Amino acid sequence: MHSLVITKWEFKNTLSSKKFITIFLLQVSILILMIIFFNSFMGNIEPGKNVALTPSLTGFASIDVVDNENLFEKQLNPDILKINRMNYSIAYNRFKNNKTTGLLIVPSDALEKIDRYETLNLSLFVNYNDPKRSVVKSEVDSASKSLSSIITNEWLKEISPENLTQPSVEQTEQGEPLPLQIINKVMIAILLFLPLFLFGNMVIDSIVGEKERKTAEILMAMPLSPSNIILGKSLAIIITIAFQVILWMIILLSAGFNIKNAILVYLLVILTSIPIIGITSMIAAYCKNYKEAGIGISFIYIGIVGFLVVPALAYLSGSTRASTISPMTLVMKLFSGETISTTDLVIPILIIIVVSLISYSISIQLFKRDDVVFGPRPSLFRLFFEFIGILSLIKYIKSKIL
Amino acid sequence: MIKIKSLSKHFGNINALDNLNLDIRKGELLGLIGPNGAGKTTAIRIISCILKPDHGDVLVDGCSILEDPLRIKSMIGYLPEEPNLYERFKAYDLLKYFGELYGMPKDKIEPRIDELLELVGMSKRAQHKINTFSKGLRQRIGIARALIHDPEIIIFDEPTMGLDPATSNTIRKFIASLKGEKTIILCTHYMDEAEELCDRVAILNQGKILDLGTPDYLKSKIHGETILKLKIKDIDNIQPRIIKKFESVENVSIIGDQVLVSLSSGEEICNIIELFENNVLSVNTKEPTLEDVFIQRVK
Ligand SMILES: Nc1ncnc2c1ncn2[C@@H]1O[C@H](COP(=O)(O)OP(=O)(O)O)[C@@H](O)[C@H]1O
Ligand SMILES: [Mg+2]
Repeated sequence: MHSLVITKWEFKNTLSSKKFITIFLLQVSILILMIIFFNSFMGNIEPGKNVALTPSLTGFASIDVVDNENLFEKQLNPDILKINRMNYSIAYNRFKNNKTTGLLIVPSDALEKIDRYETLNLSLFVNYNDPKRSVVKSEVDSASKSLSSIITNEWLKEISPENLTQPSVEQTEQGEPLPLQIINKVMIAILLFLPLFLFGNMVIDSIVGEKERKTAEILMAMPLSPSNIILGKSLAIIITIAFQVILWMIILLSAGFNIKNAILVYLLVILTSIPIIGITSMIAAYCKNYKEAGIGISFIYIGIVGFLVVPALAYLSGSTRASTISPMTLVMKLFSGETISTTDLVIPILIIIVVSLISYSISIQLFKRDDVVFGPRPSLFRLFFEFIGILSLIKYIKSKIL
Repeated sequence: MIKIKSLSKHFGNINALDNLNLDIRKGELLGLIGPNGAGKTTAIRIISCILKPDHGDVLVDGCSILEDPLRIKSMIGYLPEEPNLYERFKAYDLLKYFGELYGMPKDKIEPRIDELLELVGMSKRAQHKINTFSKGLRQRIGIARALIHDPEIIIFDEPTMGLDPATSNTIRKFIASLKGEKTIILCTHYMDEAEELCDRVAILNQGKILDLGTPDYLKSKIHGETILKLKIKDIDNIQPRIIKKFESVENVSIIGDQVLVSLSSGEEICNIIELFENNVLSVNTKEPTLEDVFIQRVK
């Protein structure tokens, strides 16, 4: 009951604080920017696979074609190249002035040459300053190949008019190519888990702030137990995270990302925030000031990110056994719609529960000690030895000897 | 009401409290006076269950601070030494927050806040944020906060320290108005404040109680009835030995160009003045104050 009073007011204050609102808006705009960059990146490596927000990629590289007989142009793919047909002198000038990536010249007597079975020489001028030149080159290459096979076929038909057997392959695409899958998963997972790490400062502000601003004294004079205080403050931040993750999921879904099992994914992300906030409050309970706590969480967060990400990467690269320990792996499996085995589910949730129990009870124990809250603060070694009981053992032995 | 039983507390190698024993009666205003670092704050923090003692116990209304801290905390209103409050809160919200933390029923909180804001003269600033307040205004809100749940026991830790005389006076009057109904502990190092307000005074130094009693009792114990203050021309030639020959003289001290003579009665004042003949520049008598007691005891 008392915890909830703290939670209510902490949450109220968070929502009314200008600092929070600014940070929040900043995060949302960063998220949207990230989605836009991600889309154009996807678009570049796999045309047609970009989600929705970026402009289409037609006209990406341009080629000028001098082709009087209109022989070659039809073979070029207009989805990839922007094709301009024009006469030689204009085209040559454009190329000289770097107005186009490539210039393809088809001889004006091309048809006659084909009729006379002579070699057909095309000239391709490529602008080497332009990184898109390789696209032009490979397009022209494949176009010339397909043209030559057409010519061969025509020729074969002429000498034997009966039908020829021609193999033809029709492509139907299904699913996404593997690299895209991986990038997609990593991107969604990062975006979903990011909010969990953005609120460390708020935990510090709310717990270390009591010591730094010397308000701990009036709080400790309230009829509250340390567990009321720690749990109440942590809950306020978990609720804030829950709101933020909902918002981010809505943005991701409306940007066209495919997230299956959205509710389960959401619950799991929020569940993961509980031990992370627990660990942060543990650091905050021990630290004297913001600076110390800031250094503390930077170190600890590197560890937590490692714990989440490394197994998830192992999962992406195909290794399955060790990867299940990370809740991030489970989230990835859930939103990509894979079947989840019991161990997949139980191991990360068990880890979450155990880490939460340990971290919150340590925070509460630390906050119970007046030497930790008001000083002089005992060293970590001392606390550790006290915890494992060595100090009382020494005292006992001393009292026996003396 | 409050029984302090052989209380000890150390910080590192500083002994802040050293086997402290003290009984505080229901309805009395007890002054805890002592120099800086005497252990006043430590003592009342232990009574308020903010710190834990190394040894000893405190019984508040029969409950032990070791066993029932939450009950004791809800009986006590505690005003800390520095008026640190949540800066981002509006005065009204701050009081509401603490009312809720004390578990007050919802419908009682708001009338109580209005009443207290009126009492400390802050009704007009209820919707202002704490970070716009001066030290004096913060102290008023701090007092309202400590009293929000209408506690039986109130502990003030140097409530007028660093405030201007007018504000100090208002706060003293406010404390005086609480006298009788509540059991109050007042820590201070302003002797006039203790003398004006307290029923009994405990003098604390280096974690120990040096003396305990009503201000009158403490004063009479050390000095007589009057102090004679003489300003003398040739102060270097004065010999305290000669003055001490009079029967009513208890103590003689020379401070600057003044001679201070403590007397058990006023009968021999004329004879003492005659000793100095024409060298006397001014003559003054004054009653001894708690300050004189304090300076004597805490040397
Ligand atoms: N948290 C603390 N850490 C270290 N020393 C402390 C702490 N609190 C009090 N002390 C020391 O204990 C002694 C008593 O302090 P305190 O009770 O604040 O005195 P007072 O309130 O009478 O001025 C002082 O010497 C002070 O330095
Ligand atoms: Mg003090």
